[in-house]
Amino acid sequence: MFSERRYDIVVIGAGLLGCFAARNLRRWKVSVALIEEREDVCTGISRANTAIIYSGYDHKPGTLKAKMTVQANARMDQLCRELDVPFSRCGSLMVSYGEKADAILKQKLHSGIQNGVPGLRLLSGPEAEQMEPALAHGVRSALYAPTAGTLNPWALGIAAFENACQNSADAFLKTTVLDISAVCGDYCVKTDRGNFLCRAVVNCAGLASDRVQKLLFPSPVSLSINAGDYLILDKTSRPMPRYILQYEPEEDDKGISVVPTVEGSLLVGPSERDGRPDYATDTEGLSFVRRQLRELLPDLRVDSVIRSFAAARPNPQRPDGSSIGSFVIEHPAHAFWSLIGIKTPGLTCADELGLYLAEKIAAELDADENTAFAPRRNGIPGVRGLEFAQRKELVQKNADYGEILCPCEEVTKAEVLEAIRRGACTVDAVKRRVGTGMGRCQGARCQQKIIAILSQELGIPESAVTKDGKGTEILYHGAS
Amino acid sequence: MEQVKLLIVGAGAAGLSAAMSAWDAGCRDILIADRSSIPGGVLPRCIHAGFGLTAFGEELCGPEYAERLLAGLVSTGVRLSLGTEVLSVSRGKTALLSCRGCVSLLHFEHLILASGCREKGIGALPVAGTRPAGIFTAGQAQEMINLRHQDLGGEVLILGSGDLGMIIARRFVLEGKHVIAVLEQADTFGGMARNYRRCIEAYQIPLRCRMTVGKIHGQGRISGVTAVHLDSGEQEFIACDTLVTALGLISERTLVQGLESSPWLSLAGNCSRVYDMVDSAVSQAQHIGREVGASLL
Repeated sequence: MFSERRYDIVVIGAGLLGCFAARNLRRWKVSVALIEEREDVCTGISRANTAIIYSGYDHKPGTLKAKMTVQANARMDQLCRELDVPFSRCGSLMVSYGEKADAILKQKLHSGIQNGVPGLRLLSGPEAEQMEPALAHGVRSALYAPTAGTLNPWALGIAAFENACQNSADAFLKTTVLDISAVCGDYCVKTDRGNFLCRAVVNCAGLASDRVQKLLFPSPVSLSINAGDYLILDKTSRPMPRYILQYEPEEDDKGISVVPTVEGSLLVGPSERDGRPDYATDTEGLSFVRRQLRELLPDLRVDSVIRSFAAARPNPQRPDGSSIGSFVIEHPAHAFWSLIGIKTPGLTCADELGLYLAEKIAAELDADENTAFAPRRNGIPGVRGLEFAQRKELVQKNADYGEILCPCEEVTKAEVLEAIRRGACTVDAVKRRVGTGMGRCQGARCQQKIIAILSQELGIPESAVTKDGKGTEILYHGAS
Repeated sequence: MEQVKLLIVGAGAAGLSAAMSAWDAGCRDILIADRSSIPGGVLPRCIHAGFGLTAFGEELCGPEYAERLLAGLVSTGVRLSLGTEVLSVSRGKTALLSCRGCVSLLHFEHLILASGCREKGIGALPVAGTRPAGIFTAGQAQEMINLRHQDLGGEVLILGSGDLGMIIARRFVLEGKHVIAVLEQADTFGGMARNYRRCIEAYQIPLRCRMTVGKIHGQGRISGVTAVHLDSGEQEFIACDTLVTALGLISERTLVQGLESSPWLSLAGNCSRVYDMVDSAVSQAQHIGREVGASLL
């Protein structure tokens, strides 16, 4: 069957960047199609990262990255209020235990001041240890960035996706881009579910973004893939640090970050190594993270680790093989834009990058402002952390708010049903929306119940319920 | 606010036994709350025999054991609130309870925590590789196979030879599946000799000691593991479509974290320490129940 659809703009890839591009494009009177290969959004680079909203001292003064990070950080409270996403502006401490790191911190303080990072302060060792008593003794200096924070990357990406759809962007999941051609000044994006004729293309295809550009234009940038390993420690771990800690070790080339997440758990990592896009963790990488965590927070019990995972990060390279540090925003032709291999601080800058592209494209297409754009989106109300009276009110309205499905993370049946109503169709998609299975038992107690509910709500047999898309059926299907 | 003299969290073997003993000691105001819709804790999923030799002088399977305990409670006025999660407990002796359609605060005089154990999952180990479908904990596998009648795998590898590991290995064999091996880090099996004889020996399941899993393979579903020989460091690929982890149990006391030394709190059964046998957990819980029951008169 041949089908052809017509849109002003096609966005390829529904990770954080694609979702925010689609959302921001709808600030103008343009029709937007968001195409994603997988059955859910934020399943690639966006699904695993350090979850930090950076303050902006890491980047070279004057660069787009530096400017955008500081600006994005300043606007994060408002963005998270609009999208109803929990954001913890807990501040970060980059700590030094030696001369080498002291020098790095001084240099970062200097660029931070030039970049306009507010409230940045270089602390003495004792000051830092007083602020964060869990730190190993012997801190020499620490760079305190009060504006740094953390949020759940899935929560932000899914919120942007939902808001884009609320504003009439059309999402096409499970749709694979096969080819792109230029047709009489327009573009034709050929997919396995028909052709999309459009006036502009936004390529946010993450790890495949270089290849997507090469479908029609040469790409002066290609991607290699770096991987990093992370650990998650249970929220009952003690002592739980208050701040995001960034360790600048003397011995190793690279340090780790320790992030007290909005969910209450502790995220630690990453290691850095060459990788493949299979999200497999590495023995050495994991022991590197454990070792550094022990060095930095010696009193923390490492036996409260509940999960390890790996992230894939694109590493954009020039034809001579050298790495590119800045954001790669390609514009090979009229109304064709590619974000190629956006890495840190891509999470921080996702909305800014989306807005940046949307403004450029709106100008190219001479589009009018969409005065009906509604920036607010409501999250799925949860019971966790609620006062008794609020909880009671929810339960009176909806009995399912009393039924706890995931005891570790205190997630109710009502939340799971709402996640499914909003499009979650796998166990992991439910997890990304409401947090089921993210706690200390890692789904051993709730997964069975989630399978049953997915089966019932989607009208599919339990044996067809998947963990994370086709090929990840949880129940057994016989020898293949 | 509702009031109760004795609140028991958990309707497993320990919770039911503590309630019975407290009642016998004269306490007449007891409420047991349990998140599950069926009472008995892990007993209903333990459909194998081997329980009750000490407590009842005969060999019972898990569901029978639970029935005996419940039968004892029928003639008492102990109230059982199933499908009820105890979300939190405060220093002021108030518990927050949640069940379908109802959330309530309950003031108690004494709390017996009988919340059993949770299983250590694969996430706790420094195992490298992918995170595909087809990995279950032993307890989860028991629940899915025995209570939900679900099919979990064909070529099954078990990691850990504690009692739960050996019993689930036999269960898979009885389900007509092929258990490739039970891997064990130590020199010998971890559970009771009786379970080794009845599960491993009797069904000729290969037990491979001084081995662990170093890496998991497979993109969609698990396709195998890299097993590591701990003494030689040698690695070996073992193909499987299902990995069941039996890595040990941790007493589940999260509900009372920070309140452990409160005079109004007692721990009964496996949440106080992990017992080998239900009978031992029951015996300790009965003792706690008697003491607490008498103290509340």
